[in-house]
Amino acid sequence: MSVIVAILQAVLLVAAAPLVSGITRKIRAKMHSRTGTDIFQDYRDLAKLWRRCEVREGGSGLVSRAMPPVFLGSFVLIAAGLPLFMQACPVPILGDIITILYLMALPRFMFALASIDSAGSYTAIGGVRELLVGVLVEPALVLVLFVMAVAAGSTNTGFMAAATGSLQAQPLVAVVVAGVAFAMACYIEMGKLPFDLAEAEQEIQEGPLAAYSGPSLAMLKLGVSVKQLVVASLLVALFLPFGAAVDASPAAVLAGMLAYGAKVLVVMVAASIIENAVMRVRYKLLGRYTWFVTGIALLSLVFLVIGI
Amino acid sequence: MFGYPLVNVLGACLIITSMLVVLARTGRAAAWLYSLQSLVLVAVLASLGAVTGSTELFTWSATAFATKVVLVPAILLFTLKKIGDEARTDLPPKLNPMKSVALVAVEVFVCFVAVSGIDLPTAAEVRPTLAVSLAHFFIGLTCIVIQRSIFKQIFGYCLMENGSHVTLALLAPQAPELVEIGVATDAIFAVIILAVLVWRMARYARTLDADDLCELKG
Repeated sequence: MSVIVAILQAVLLVAAAPLVSGITRKIRAKMHSRTGTDIFQDYRDLAKLWRRCEVREGGSGLVSRAMPPVFLGSFVLIAAGLPLFMQACPVPILGDIITILYLMALPRFMFALASIDSAGSYTAIGGVRELLVGVLVEPALVLVLFVMAVAAGSTNTGFMAAATGSLQAQPLVAVVVAGVAFAMACYIEMGKLPFDLAEAEQEIQEGPLAAYSGPSLAMLKLGVSVKQLVVASLLVALFLPFGAAVDASPAAVLAGMLAYGAKVLVVMVAASIIENAVMRVRYKLLGRYTWFVTGIALLSLVFLVIGI
Repeated sequence: MFGYPLVNVLGACLIITSMLVVLARTGRAAAWLYSLQSLVLVAVLASLGAVTGSTELFTWSATAFATKVVLVPAILLFTLKKIGDEARTDLPPKLNPMKSVALVAVEVFVCFVAVSGIDLPTAAEVRPTLAVSLAHFFIGLTCIVIQRSIFKQIFGYCLMENGSHVTLALLAPQAPELVEIGVATDAIFAVIILAVLVWRMARYARTLDADDLCELKG
């Protein structure tokens, strides 16, 4: 049963990612007083790219070729292991926070490596910036996940979800503050304004996308939307597991699935409204915001230590 | 959830609200947030009164509501209105506000380490809140040190004062009202004096920047 849920999660997340991305695009268009494209436009874009032939930059090697599948595959793997529909991990070995953190670091590493591999200066700058975001956001993510691990008594996200869901994660204030810090860190990790515009390859941070075409670009575009969905799902799974199935009966899992869909949609819509309500900041100022998030994560750690 | 855990949760809310006071961009927002913080303080006093069965604490919370939630913010907002366009009140702080959050976290931790050495029967259950109240002294000090605007430095004093109020309530819940007036209520006069000073300085020097005001000496 749990393996079926894992595969279902992965397939559903990949299938729904372009739709969610289309909805956020539609919201952006509406907030800019434009009509915008249809919410299913991303599917058509991906299908079109998939049919095109692949063009590679001269001199690019194996890393460039391997990056798109690794990028997409890592996030699909995370999606399979998270406690999304149930308050337990369908595949416990994939649901450990250490595994998840490394699975999130792997695509970033490959992304940066591919950006140098294609030998373009434009793509290399993009790769460096992507790494910078990682370096600045990961301390906050690690701190928050550490707080949750101590509060729940396990590094497994399934146990964390169960502990939060039954309000057993103590101390309460530390968990709430950690949730706030995690939501902010996730927002930055999603690659949204004011820091980044993930789906726009002309933005410098996603520079490496400029070196891809055809099926590879389709995989990367899909990967970027799956990444946004996975990051939002991580927040929902750890801090808002209410409504997810407590046992593994099919009816409960189905109810959990519907609850998950509603929660993640709310998170994504909120994120896209915030994104369109802010201006773009200069790249140098990114550190200020991430320091703020790290500060809040540190506060939650202190609350954990003093026990409130 | 009730009893001492509730007091501790409210103590954590005190830290969060005082951080918001320190981070507030405008003096107006800081005054409103200070009012919110005092409301949490009143809740702490009232819940502590319910837990310890001390009737004095209820009287304290009533006086704290009148002075800190209503009067002090009203005085500060009135001062802000009086200053008007005579000087800029919303100067950016010296320390990057984002880093001050980390600083507050470190202060709370250090205070917890300091408090864990205290071994009093009343303090055992509410040790986190005791750490929070002690930390308020340092948060207030931080506010005074990092703020450039002398108007916002008043909030530093107010935060320190709130901290001492909570410490008193935690360690001596049965203390009579007279003690509370001596320790906590008299702060309102200090705030009035500070507010008048700020207003006079704004009128005289046309600036509230502490760095510029150094030239007043001698």
